[in-house]
Amino acid sequence: MNSFERIEAAISLKAPDRVPVGPLLDHFAATYTGITNAELMTDGDKRIDAVLKTMRELGPWDVTFVADTATETLLKLGLPIKLRLPGKDLDENEIHQLHEVEFLTLDDYDLLKRIGVFRFMWNVLGRLYPEMKGLGAAWPLVSTTLEFRKHRKMVEKAGARMACGFVHPGILPDYFSLGRSMQPFMMDMFRHPEKIKSVNRLWSRGMVGIAINGARFVGEPTVFIGCARSSPTFISPKQFEEFALPEYEYTINTIIDAGMTPLLHCDTDWTRFLHYFRRFPARKCILELDGASDIRKAKEILGDYMCIMGDVPATLLAGGTKDEVMDYCRGLIREIGKGGGFILSSGCSIPANAKPENVKALTEAVEEWGYY
Amino acid sequence: MESNSELTELGKAIANLEEDKTYEILDRYLADSVPPLEIIDELSAGMDEVGKLYKEGEYFLSELVFSGEIFKGAMAKVKPLIETGSGRESSGKLIVGTAKGDIHDLGKNIVITLLECAGFEVIDLGVDVPAEKFVEAVRESGAPLVGLSALLTTAFNSMRETMEAIRNAGLRERVKVMIGGGSTSDKLREQIGADFYGRDATEAVDIAKSVLK
Repeated sequence: MNSFERIEAAISLKAPDRVPVGPLLDHFAATYTGITNAELMTDGDKRIDAVLKTMRELGPWDVTFVADTATETLLKLGLPIKLRLPGKDLDENEIHQLHEVEFLTLDDYDLLKRIGVFRFMWNVLGRLYPEMKGLGAAWPLVSTTLEFRKHRKMVEKAGARMACGFVHPGILPDYFSLGRSMQPFMMDMFRHPEKIKSVNRLWSRGMVGIAINGARFVGEPTVFIGCARSSPTFISPKQFEEFALPEYEYTINTIIDAGMTPLLHCDTDWTRFLHYFRRFPARKCILELDGASDIRKAKEILGDYMCIMGDVPATLLAGGTKDEVMDYCRGLIREIGKGGGFILSSGCSIPANAKPENVKALTEAVEEWGYY
Repeated sequence: MESNSELTELGKAIANLEEDKTYEILDRYLADSVPPLEIIDELSAGMDEVGKLYKEGEYFLSELVFSGEIFKGAMAKVKPLIETGSGRESSGKLIVGTAKGDIHDLGKNIVITLLECAGFEVIDLGVDVPAEKFVEAVRESGAPLVGLSALLTTAFNSMRETMEAIRNAGLRERVKVMIGGGSTSDKLREQIGADFYGRDATEAVDIAKSVLK
């Protein structure tokens, strides 16, 4: 079986020849290969070379991210939040950080309603980064998209599948929670629910259209959806049902109807909300967990429903021993990989200070225990 | 959500997250010259109920944060009426900051809100705090507890350095240290020699109560 066949089998909940493997690679590629994080985030050629070298030496992997989650242009376009960037605000070898302040205002709900999703994101980008105002963002957007199409081909030539063709920033509660900052957005849910609801579906409709077209152009029919601020770590079931679930259903169904796979990247502990995911179409999604959710509970609740990906914790990759990582992976392969429907990965990004032998351990673990 | 029947009307209103009702009752209390410390006690009892509902899994973080906002709004009306020297007794003092190399403060700020609601005096050192600043704060304030926060694994070294700096300054016996934040764990606590690990904001408050009260 090749990597594509393994991933497709895992998504369909069939057992491939072995458990597929592919950690979430971004800043670690810089640390491992000796380029700066500033270079990783801004230079596409250096970024893909670092990704491919890391994959070659610490893999082989069946699937890889191409440091899309550490690409400066994409982060600026997709996140309504001021970034602290290596080489500009931070030392060139630091990883980027998010400076969360109340940036979007209550008026921004009305603005979004007036001008629509694409123009709104453009407007926000210009407010955060004046140098990208108006046409200033046009070339970075075009060139980054062309770059990702090129990188997808390079990853496939190296024998792996690119993890996603588009990084969707999330449903409106996730986007506005970052942009308003968390506490004011929580206040909006209690004090101004009508404002959120007035633009919730508009955002979903606009954003999923952009995502599908983007993934289609890049040539990888998987859409990564950032799922963080709508988790039970932050909001109640009542709020999830009111503000988030209908938009997840709409977004996920629309992506599937377009012949693509939603990759639900779930940051923080989603265990208490996993039962809701049975409302999404079976055998069509990937559930990516970051180590905070109970992955065994996920297997119990969703094992017959969606492919599970994850979840070797960042703290283990950075601070654990290789034996500890191997043990952790063995447990995942045997329990979560039982019967198929599992991709071994890191819990969210491989940390920049991960030990290389620990990253290599993921591949070694599937080679030792991952064959069905 | 029905709250504890022993709570007063004001305590129930805040426990039920009824913002407008809380302020209506409060305004009535103030018009009737109810002593400010009695009002604070009723509000605090309501907040204790919120904490209980959170631990029981009935309330989530958003309800905790909203209750904190209602409480802060209520305290803003009551505090000016408290005479100097007859104020609410502090539950204790502690220092909180995000470790050097990390500028994330979301969790830290929620913890501070809850600590202040619980009556603690918090010295907030902010983000990207070097080890020596924690040491200086401990020396100057005499606070017996430090809360060290980090989201990034790359801040682990600076957390370790902070612990070493506290030890080298001869302050380790005087101060307890709790850690918290997205990437931290009890294993990290053990590795760097801290005393407590708080998985979430309410555990941080419980730790503060166990150390300071």
